Amino acid sequence: MNYLLPERLDRLAREYALGTLAGPARRRFERVLRSSAAASTAVNAWQGRLSVLDLSTAPVQPRESTWRGIERQLFATPDRVASPSVRSGGVLPALLGLLSGRGLVGAVVGALLCVVVLRMQPGIVGLEPQVDALPQSYVGVLLDPAGKAALVASSRRQGRLLTVKILQPLNVPAGHVAQLWALPKDGAAPFPVGVIAAQGSSRLALPDTSEKLFFNVSRLAVSFEKAPPNAGDAPAGAYALIGNCVKVW
Amino acid sequence: MPAEESLAELLARVALRDRRAFERLYRATCDRLFSVSLRILRNESRADEVLQEAYVSIWHNAPKYDAAAGTPMTWMINIVRNRSIDLLRARKSELASTTEIDDKALNVAADSAGEPQRLLDDSLVKAKIAECMRALAAAQRQALALAYYRGMVHTDIASALNAPLGTAKGWVRRGLEQLKSCLEGAGVTGL
Repeated sequence: MNYLLPERLDRLAREYALGTLAGPARRRFERVLRSSAAASTAVNAWQGRLSVLDLSTAPVQPRESTWRGIERQLFATPDRVASPSVRSGGVLPALLGLLSGRGLVGAVVGALLCVVVLRMQPGIVGLEPQVDALPQSYVGVLLDPAGKAALVASSRRQGRLLTVKILQPLNVPAGHVAQLWALPKDGAAPFPVGVIAAQGSSRLALPDTSEKLFFNVSRLAVSFEKAPPNAGDAPAGAYALIGNCVKVW
Repeated sequence: MPAEESLAELLARVALRDRRAFERLYRATCDRLFSVSLRILRNESRADEVLQEAYVSIWHNAPKYDAAAGTPMTWMINIVRNRSIDLLRARKSELASTTEIDDKALNVAADSAGEPQRLLDDSLVKAKIAECMRALAAAQRQALALAYYRGMVHTDIASALNAPLGTAKGWVRRGLEQLKSCLEGAGVTGL
């Protein structure tokens, strides 16, 4: 189906923006959105129109714990200086106060010791893995032009992080970045995933779950770009690495 | 609502990985975004879960925000709406097959997030297009309200309004066309 015929695109865009586009059709259109600037423009226009329907939305304050949850997910530790919850007192600052100085050092050493012991003897507290199988994941192995494995990418099915391990350092030309692309199996345009390091391991934050991003992707590739591309951009040159992307489940 | 200019500035600083700016952005917008999620999911716990996911996404995607595509608030509202709709749909079969009644959450949601028809009417008045939108029949406006504020799909709307599916689809389409026409007539482009 050609999603980009103007009348069809406008219909899909307005139904997507409103929310009435559902199920597989919604997922398919989200994939089109990631690779088509015209589709993004059409959706943006409808989202702008529909935004007037939020003019009467009455604000509802979320719990303070919501912000702490966000901080934990993003930064692992709350920003003590920035967070009003910490400045204004409460249980957390009291605990942090108790754990100052030598107390804090002792607690950190104790926590590390627990981690080491539990990793070596997980059975002590019943933490043995329930299954030995690899969690449901998307895995890509990319080859260089000589057919040698050069990069492994993996992400849990419902995860939002992609781990990339470089097996042999990339010769990224000066003034360029190594850009990872996802190639849909239906022949749709590749979409950019992120910039990767030339060697070692790197982790890319994904804009959505792997399931949504890679469901229809059969191959991954790396090209060298002068700047990180935007959604809708195409690779500037030939792929330096390319390989299959498979579902492991 | 904070001035869009200040939200744009905050978002630009978030794109540069400024945690303080991120917290200020959160403090300035969380109540409106929580309301958006709450009115769709009608459950505080799930709305809270979506809100956290949405701000994590805002942090990661701030460098990709394009001012030409819409205001920061519209961009953020749609991150929350899409995630709320995804969660709503994912739980739909589960909700249909259980008898869970979360009275407390539903009451809170009903009180604080408002009812679809009233929300629509109040918004149209504020956008100064209420008169123009009166060209629609009440059922057409109601269909639009249920889709936007409750995340309902056509089949849900047909069921809620006791109408054939094709009729419900027509109501929604007509509602959107009229909205577009009224906004263009009033020279309004969005929030």
